[in-house]
Amino acid sequence: MAKSYLKTGAALQRSSWGHLMLLLVVIVVCVFPFYWMVATSFKEQAAILSSTPQFIFRPTLDNYITADQKFNIGACLLNSLIVALSTTGLSLILGTPAAYAIARFEFKAKQDLWFWFISNRMISPIVVALPFFLLARQFKLLDTQLVLILIYLTFNVPIVVWICTDQFRNIPKELDEAATLEGYNSFGIFWRIALPLAAPGIAVSAIFSFIFSWNELLYALVLTRTNAKTAPVVATSFLSGYETPWGQIMATGTLVALPVIIFSIIVSRQLVRGLTMGAVK
Amino acid sequence: MGATKPKKTYSTGAFFFVAPAVVVLLAVGIFPLLFAAGVSFHQFLLPKVHWSGNFLGVWPIYDAPLTWFDNYIAIFQDDSFRDALTRTFLFLIINLPLELILGLGIALLLHQQGNEFLKKICRVALVVPMATTFAVVGLTGRLLFDGNYGVLNYLWSLIFHSRPDWLADPNLAFFAISVMEVWQWTPFCALVLFSSLTMVPPEIEEAARLETAHWWQVLWRVQLPFMLPGITAILILRTADILKLFDVVYIMTKGGPGSATELISLFVQRIGFRAFDQGVASAQAIVFLIIATVLSRIYIKLVYKEV
Amino acid sequence: MVAAKINMKKLLCALCAGVAFLSLGLSVAKAWSLEEASKDYKGTEIKVIFLDRPGYRATIKMLPEFEQKTGIKVSYEIVPYESTREKEVLDFSAQGDLSIALVDLVWIGEFAESGWIVPIDELEKKFPNLTDPDLDLNDFFPLLLNAFGSWNNTVYGLPFDNYSGLLFYNKTMLSQAGFDKPPETWDDLLNVYGPKLTGTGKFAFALQSRRGETQSCDSFMRFIWPWGGSLLDAKFKPNLTDPKDQEGLEFRQKLEKIMPPGIVDFDHNEAVNALAQGEVAMITEWSAFYSTLTDPKTSKIVNDLAIAPEPKGPAGRKPALGGFSLCVAKQADDKRQGAAWLFIEWITSKAKAKEYVENGGVSGRQSPYQDKDFVAKYPFIPPMVESWQQGVPEFRPRFAEWPQLSEIIAEWGTKMQDGQATVKQASDEIDKRVEDVLQKAGYYDGKKTLAQ
Repeated sequence: MAKSYLKTGAALQRSSWGHLMLLLVVIVVCVFPFYWMVATSFKEQAAILSSTPQFIFRPTLDNYITADQKFNIGACLLNSLIVALSTTGLSLILGTPAAYAIARFEFKAKQDLWFWFISNRMISPIVVALPFFLLARQFKLLDTQLVLILIYLTFNVPIVVWICTDQFRNIPKELDEAATLEGYNSFGIFWRIALPLAAPGIAVSAIFSFIFSWNELLYALVLTRTNAKTAPVVATSFLSGYETPWGQIMATGTLVALPVIIFSIIVSRQLVRGLTMGAVK
Repeated sequence: MGATKPKKTYSTGAFFFVAPAVVVLLAVGIFPLLFAAGVSFHQFLLPKVHWSGNFLGVWPIYDAPLTWFDNYIAIFQDDSFRDALTRTFLFLIINLPLELILGLGIALLLHQQGNEFLKKICRVALVVPMATTFAVVGLTGRLLFDGNYGVLNYLWSLIFHSRPDWLADPNLAFFAISVMEVWQWTPFCALVLFSSLTMVPPEIEEAARLETAHWWQVLWRVQLPFMLPGITAILILRTADILKLFDVVYIMTKGGPGSATELISLFVQRIGFRAFDQGVASAQAIVFLIIATVLSRIYIKLVYKEV
Repeated sequence: MVAAKINMKKLLCALCAGVAFLSLGLSVAKAWSLEEASKDYKGTEIKVIFLDRPGYRATIKMLPEFEQKTGIKVSYEIVPYESTREKEVLDFSAQGDLSIALVDLVWIGEFAESGWIVPIDELEKKFPNLTDPDLDLNDFFPLLLNAFGSWNNTVYGLPFDNYSGLLFYNKTMLSQAGFDKPPETWDDLLNVYGPKLTGTGKFAFALQSRRGETQSCDSFMRFIWPWGGSLLDAKFKPNLTDPKDQEGLEFRQKLEKIMPPGIVDFDHNEAVNALAQGEVAMITEWSAFYSTLTDPKTSKIVNDLAIAPEPKGPAGRKPALGGFSLCVAKQADDKRQGAAWLFIEWITSKAKAKEYVENGGVSGRQSPYQDKDFVAKYPFIPPMVESWQQGVPEFRPRFAEWPQLSEIIAEWGTKMQDGQATVKQASDEIDKRVEDVLQKAGYYDGKKTLAQ
C-alpha cells in the first residue's frame, strides 16, 4: 500500500491560506490599473493631475457626459459589439473544424498547414493597411462593419485553430471509436463528441478572439470613417495632440472595457467543463 | 506507395473540415501579403507614386521603380534598425520567460483545489488587463508612472522616499513598458496554460500526487508534458506580437527618451507611416515574418512534443 | 474756349460713365451672397477630417448655420492628431472620398507637391461665381497665409486653426520674487529670473521636451531661430554645427537647472499642468492652452495667470509657429470642390471671424482684432498678434521630408537633453542623418527647387 502523501489537516489549512493570499494578490495586481482608470473617469481634471494622487475625491459624471456629447460612443460600442461577435462566431465556425481535422486526421502537409495558420499573425499591419485599403475601396467596403469582420478573421482563426487543436488532440480516441461503432460519421463525431469536450479550449479561444477584435485599432482607424467607427477609435479620438482630457479618455476606456469583461464572465463558465471529462468515461 | 502506419487514416474528409478556413483566409489575406511582398522590391514612397489604373481590374499599377533588393540591403545597413531590433530582442528575452513563469504559477493556482469562489473571480480578473483598448492601457500606464502625478511614484515615495522619473530615465522607461507588457499578457499565458492543465487526465494526476509530496515533481513529470503545446503556442504568438507591439509603448513614451524604448514596430511605423516609405517598411515586415517563422520553427523543435 | 468746353463735357461724360460702371459693379458685388452662390450645391456632401480641439469644436457649433444657408452637408470625422496625416495621405493616394484637406503647416509642402490640393487662383478661375468678393486675402496675417496656406509662392488654403507660442507665466510668483514684468530675453529668463524662482520644490521654467513633434518643434527649434541659427543653410545642407545653432542648444542645456527633473518626458500636458498647479513659474506653450489655464476646473492659477510674447534671443523674437489651413482636395469632383471652396471661405470669412473666436476658435484674420473692446475679452490676443508680426515661416521646414527629419531630431534632441550624447555629438548625428534623407530626396542634385 503506497504511503499516502496527502496533506495532513494543518498543512492543508496552511496551503489553503497560501492559496488564498496568492489568488488575492493576482486579483489585485490585475485589477489595480483598471480600478485606477475607472476612478480617474470619475475625477475632475484638477484632481487627476494633482501631485498627491487622490484616493478619496468628489466624484463627477462630467467626463462621461462630455465624452458622450463629443462622440456618439453608444453607436461605436454597438459597432464594436457587432464586429467582435460576428468575427468571433465566424472564427469558431471556420476554425474548430480545421482544428479538429489537424488533430484527428492525417494528410499531406499537415504540419505546414498548421504553421501556415499561425503565420497569418506574423505580418505587421502597417504594411498591409494600404493594400487592405485599396481592396476595400475597390469593393466599396470602406467604412463598413463587414470589412473589419473579414480582416479580423486573419488573426482570429489562427488563435482558434491553435488552441482547439490541442484540446481535440487530448480527447481519447476510444470515444471516437465507440461513436463510429454507433454509426456516426466524422462530422457527427466532431459535432456531438469532440466539440462539447473541447469546451474549455473553445471558450478560451472565443474570449481571446473577442478581445483581439474588440481592441484592434490600426485597421479600424484606417478603414472606417463614421458609420463603422469602433470603440478603440473613439477612445483615441480624444488624443488631439495638445490636450489630453484624461477624465474623458478614461471614461471612454471604462465604457469600452466593460462589454469585454461581461462577455468573459458569460463565456468563462465553459472553462471549467473539462474537469468533468473524466467522469464521462 | 510507402507502408502506412496502423491507426492513421488518410482521410479526404479532412478536406471539407479544413477547406472553409483556408479559403476564407486566403481570399482575405493573400492579396495584401503579395502586395506587401511585391512593394518591398520597389522604391515605393506613397505620396510620390502615381496610381495608373488596375491590371485586370484588380491589381493596382503604380509607377514605382523596381529596385530589387535595395530596400533589404538598406535595412541591414541602418544602425537605428539594428539597434531597434536588438532592443526588441532584449525585451523579448526578458519579458516572455517572465510571462510564462508567472502565467504558469497563476494557472497552477487556478487548478489547485479550494477557494472556488475566489478562483472564479480570479478567472474574470485575469481578463481585465486584456480587456482595455491598448491605447488606453498606454495612457493608464502613463498616468500610473508619471513622475509628478503618478500614483506609483506616490506609493514608492512613501516606502523609499524618492521619486524616480520612470519615464524620463532610459532604463526606467524600458522597465516601465516591460511592466505594462507583463501586466497585460501574463493573464493570456495563464489562461492558455490553465486550459492546457484541464486536459491532464485527473486519474494520472491523482496517482502522481499519491506518489510524491512535492508539487514540482508532479508538475515536471505529469502536468508539463500536457502543457507543451500550449507553451509552444504562447512562445510563437507572443514573439510575433512583441515584434508588432506598438500602441502601449508609443503612447507611454513615443519611443523615448532618446531611443530607449523604440521597439522595432515603432521603427516600422516611423518608416511606413511617417516617411511613408512603404517599400522599406514592407521589406522590414518581410524580414520580421522570416525571423518569426524561424524562431517558431526553433520553438517547435525544442519544446513541442505531442503527448 | 470752345475746346475747353468740349473737354469739360467729355470729362463729365467720362465721369458719369465711370460712376455708372462703378455703381453697377458695386451692385453686382453686393448681390453676391452665400445663399445665392450655393443654390446649385444643395444636397452635396463634403467630407473632412477634424481634431478634438477648440477651433474645430467652434466650427462644429457653426455648421448647422452653414448647412441651413447652403444645403451643403459637411461630414466631419474626428481623429487623433497622430493619425491625421496617415489617414489623409492614404485617402489621397488611393483616391478616397475626402473633399477638404486639413493641412498642418508642416505638411503643406508634401500635399502641394503631390498634387493633392488645388491652388486658390485655380479655384477662383474655375468657380468665379463662388468666390466671395469680400475674401480679401490681405486681411489674413501675412505670416499665417504664407506659412499655413502657401507653398512655393502659391496660395493653396486659408488659415483655419492658428497658434502661436506664447509665454504663460504666474504673475504672483514673479512679483513675490521681485519681478513686475516677464523676462524680455531668454538670457534674462535663465540668469535673472531663473535663480530667484527656483527652489523649495518650485521651478522657474518648464520646457515640454518629450520625444516626438514636441521635442523637435517645441523644444529643439525654439532654441535655434532666436539665436540666429537655422536647421538648413541656403543650399539645404544641415547647419547644426554652426556656432549660432550650437550656442542656442547649449543654452537649452543650461536651462535644466531651473526646470523640474525628468523634463525630457514632459509633454504639453505636463508643462501646462506644472504651471496650472503652481509648481512652475513660466512656460512657453501654444496659445491654445489659454482655455485650460483659465478654467477653474483644470487650473489653480486662474487669477495669477498673465501672458506675454515669447522671450527674445540674440537674433530677436522668433516664437514657435503652428497651425492648420483648409484646402480643397483635387480628388473631389467639381461639384464637391465648389462646395468645399464655399465652406472654406465661409468659415474663415471676415463676417464669421468674431463668432469663430467667441466659440473658442482663433481667427487668422487681422480685422477682428482691430476691435479693442472685442480684444479686451481675450487677454491672449495682443501677445499672439505681436508674435505673428515677427515669426519665421520655416520655423519647421514644411517640405515633404519634415516628418522624417522630425523623427531624427526628436530622437537625438532627447538624447542631448538626457545626457546620452553631448550637444556636439548629437548635432553631428542629426546633421549626418538629415543630409542623408535630403540627399535621397534629391535636394542636392540641382533638380529640385529648394523650397521649405
